Amino acid sequence: MTVAAPTEPMLPPRRRPWGIVILVVVVLAVIAYLAFSSIGTALVYYLTPSELAARGDAAVGNTVRLGGQVATGSVSGPATDLRFVLTDGETDIPVHSTVAPTRSFREGSGAVVEGALGPDGVFEATQVIVKHDENYEAPAPGTLPSDRAFEPGEEP
Amino acid sequence: MIPTIGHAAVLVGLGLTAYAIVAFVLAARGRDPRLAGSARRAVIGSFVAALIGCVAMVISLLGHDFSVLYVAENNATTTPPFISAISLWAALEGSILFWTLLATGWAALVLVRHRGKHRLLMPWVGATLACVNLFFFAVMTWPGNPFALTAPVAGEGLGPNALLQNHPFMALHPPLLYLGYTGLAVPFAFGVAALITRRLDEEWLRIVRRWTLVPWIFLTLGITAGAWWSYEVLGWGGYWAWDPVENAALLPWLTATAFLHSAMVAERRGGLRIWASALVIATFILTLVGTFLTRSGVVASVHSFTQSAIGPWFLAGIVVALAGSLTLLVWRLPELVGGGRPSGFLSRESAFLLNNVLFLGLTFAVLFGTLLPLLVAGTSGETISVGAPWFNAVNAPIFVALLFLMGVGPALPWGQASWATLRERFAVPSILAVVVVAAGLALGLRNLAALVTLGLAVMVAAIMLDEVIRGARARARGRGENPVAAAWRLTTRNRRRYGGYAVHVGILVMAVAVAISSGLATDVTVTIAPGETARIGAYEIRHDRLVVEPLADDARVIETRAELTYDGPQSGSLRTALRDYPNSQAAIATPAVRTSLGEDLYVTLLASDPGTQAVTLHLFVNPLVVWIWIGGLIVGIGSAFAIWPEARRSAVPAVESRRAPSVSPVEGA
Repeated sequence: MTVAAPTEPMLPPRRRPWGIVILVVVVLAVIAYLAFSSIGTALVYYLTPSELAARGDAAVGNTVRLGGQVATGSVSGPATDLRFVLTDGETDIPVHSTVAPTRSFREGSGAVVEGALGPDGVFEATQVIVKHDENYEAPAPGTLPSDRAFEPGEEP
Repeated sequence: MIPTIGHAAVLVGLGLTAYAIVAFVLAARGRDPRLAGSARRAVIGSFVAALIGCVAMVISLLGHDFSVLYVAENNATTTPPFISAISLWAALEGSILFWTLLATGWAALVLVRHRGKHRLLMPWVGATLACVNLFFFAVMTWPGNPFALTAPVAGEGLGPNALLQNHPFMALHPPLLYLGYTGLAVPFAFGVAALITRRLDEEWLRIVRRWTLVPWIFLTLGITAGAWWSYEVLGWGGYWAWDPVENAALLPWLTATAFLHSAMVAERRGGLRIWASALVIATFILTLVGTFLTRSGVVASVHSFTQSAIGPWFLAGIVVALAGSLTLLVWRLPELVGGGRPSGFLSRESAFLLNNVLFLGLTFAVLFGTLLPLLVAGTSGETISVGAPWFNAVNAPIFVALLFLMGVGPALPWGQASWATLRERFAVPSILAVVVVAAGLALGLRNLAALVTLGLAVMVAAIMLDEVIRGARARARGRGENPVAAAWRLTTRNRRRYGGYAVHVGILVMAVAVAISSGLATDVTVTIAPGETARIGAYEIRHDRLVVEPLADDARVIETRAELTYDGPQSGSLRTALRDYPNSQAAIATPAVRTSLGEDLYVTLLASDPGTQAVTLHLFVNPLVVWIWIGGLIVGIGSAFAIWPEARRSAVPAVESRRAPSVSPVEGA
């Protein structure tokens, strides 16, 4: 984005302050190391139930976001010990969650869960996000919900 | 009628702005000098046009004129007047109209303030600002017309965004952020103008520093207020999620801060000017990138977006601005590089240089994390997200290093420091830091980030305090003043330096509050029936009753409310609710926050069972959060303190060369 090298304009014409140059290089190297060493674990893939199933055993234990529909008739248990099934119409993934979802969570609604598939084939969710539009968070200022309940002109 | 006037005003603004560009360029090329005056009046005219546009929109909103699509989508007959008025910036088209008002306002202000001065520079400044404004007028004329009509006209509109209705804080942070964003076009314009005219001189630096600091204050306050809004309104118990919208505001703040620091070196020691101009250009381009990210719908965010036709326009704008300014920079590079007095390794210059490297490191890290999902989606088609843990892991060490430099930099002399100076200035503060960390450990504080931040904050504060005392003492001795008066005069006569210190104090307060509140917060999710209690920390929360009823002032909104009493360090009753708005599928959380100077009790309702009347609550105890907002306020006050007299001085019509470079030992940090 910027072109001038940070060290360039600081260099006095005669004596080059190698100490500073080395320090800058070291600092940049540390930042680059920090950025790339943890990027592998920081990336959270967003998958559908079919995509998760297609990964087979390789998927076990890796944190992903799983998005799908809450299957009708699958929800059981209290809010803090919830069991339900997420489906994309082809594949069903059973989910267990100890974190309470927001109240918009209901059968048939879209939901995104973050967590990892356990060895028993049950997806252990650490976060349940109800998907009410293309994004998965509450709509906020500067925006319109993309799937609206009614169009302008209709009586609500 | 009103919408037609608004639309006409936008078109007039477009025409005036286009004329201003041509006239400014002709004036700059040495044609009729009266052209510059006429172009300036055209820019003022475009500001008036944008103002008329905004007034027309607010009138349409207040009058619930659903013939305007924007009003139909963002207003309802039941919307209270205050919410209707601030709906001006509630959605895409209106916010661009408001944006244009502020952008033309800054342009007009700059041209009026520098009228008759800097005759070589100003026409290019005006032309650049007019180009920026032209872009926004063009967006409103073609893809994002705020006055687009709809037919047949509905009897009722969709109503404003539910989150907007739910809390008055929405009135606060968007205007502050927009003022910051739009104002940063001014230093960019000066950068471009100076590169074109080869006038990157000391006068230029002084002007640009001031025109960067003012929008920087707004941006700082806007980011803080945005975090506050997120905390008080969204109900997730936190204030910063490394959401793309937050990052978009942070990125230009980082480069602008880097510029404000590098400008001091450039002013003091020469050199670095091409670097400084690159930073102001980068800052402006990052504001465009941020707007693109937040307004085009390309990234998923807390601020969800409409897919709009505006995205390609912004992309084109970014490419033009980037390509143009890069070409200009490279073109002028051979002529402008150089200068600068030599300095040693242990010097304030080195500290500033390192400061800039760290700020740019932060900028690249945040930009990388924000854009990576886009890049991955574009190349492999996979959808990913980069989580807060990554941002924290990468950025926290850089922030800590910056904190360290914040103390070291101002205490190092320019040129070359000796080890004796270092010992004298750092010995006591370092010992104090060690003592505080030891005390923290003894008290059972085991969070590394919190300990390090606390220790560094104490060290930095001690170094600054020592500096002030040293200066005040010297002054008291030299002039026979009493120490308090001497301290007061010292700081008010060197506002820039000590205002800067006040900013640093604000940042220290924020840093400690962020480290402690993120490291030591506790939370628990509980489900309790009426009459039952739950515990968190020293608090006991009792479920009194569950109420489901329409809101008193808008019966279309159904509120599910838990009424609770709490006991502990604070006690009383509180209500936390979920509200169902007719235009939002998701219920909107209404967290209850009980703030004290030590800690916040934060309660949000997750779910309720209509059968048993049981509620599921998310309880948080967040220590020291209020100090983040206080720190932000200190930063704002400190920077206003720093800039105040200069603003007053330059209000006096003055000769260009009135200012001799100041060389007194205590001035100009």
